[in-house]
Amino acid sequence: MDVPTTMKKVTLFALSTCPACKRVKKFLDDNRIPYTLVEVDSLDGSEQWAATKELSRYNPQVSYPTVVIEDVVLGYDIDSLQAKLQ
Amino acid sequence: MSITADHLCEILGKYAASQGNQLNSDREFVLDVIAGLLKNEERYGYRSCPCRLATGVKERDEDIMCPCRYKDADIKDFGSCYCALYVSREWNAGTIPRMPVPERRPPKK
Repeated sequence: MDVPTTMKKVTLFALSTCPACKRVKKFLDDNRIPYTLVEVDSLDGSEQWAATKELSRYNPQVSYPTVVIEDVVLGYDIDSLQAKLQ
Repeated sequence: MSITADHLCEILGKYAASQGNQLNSDREFVLDVIAGLLKNEERYGYRSCPCRLATGVKERDEDIMCPCRYKDADIKDFGSCYCALYVSREWNAGTIPRMPVPERRPPKK
């Protein structure tokens, strides 16, 4: 059985009121791309603060929508590590 | 009685024309922006930009109350406001390139 040793983690930072965010969400849904949705304006105060702080690590302008696509390498996989780090 | 999306759309269209601009010709998109404006009005008491995170404190959000303080500069430089609600005639006609408008608002605001 083939076990994937690499995968991409996709996170969408969005606002529930933002049309561009909805279009990005639709694109991901239509293409069946698994992702984590962080709908920042729907969070309560402390969660919103934490999400904004997290988003600012990737996008200092803290604008929406922001899609973060991260590579994840599982296990001791030198080929994958080298490929991702190039 | 609260304003309907269609009525607000009509008013914003007249406002855009008075400024020498237009509303985005994609009516579905415009109504989506307006739905966001009305949601923010319900939440905060004012129509803050639906494409930006408001604080809920009017004094801190004044620059992003629609039409936002950055609209004219964004239309001048990119043909559309940050949200792509207000656009230039050229943007609607497709004679200038369309691109995501970078956030002009200072990040710490």
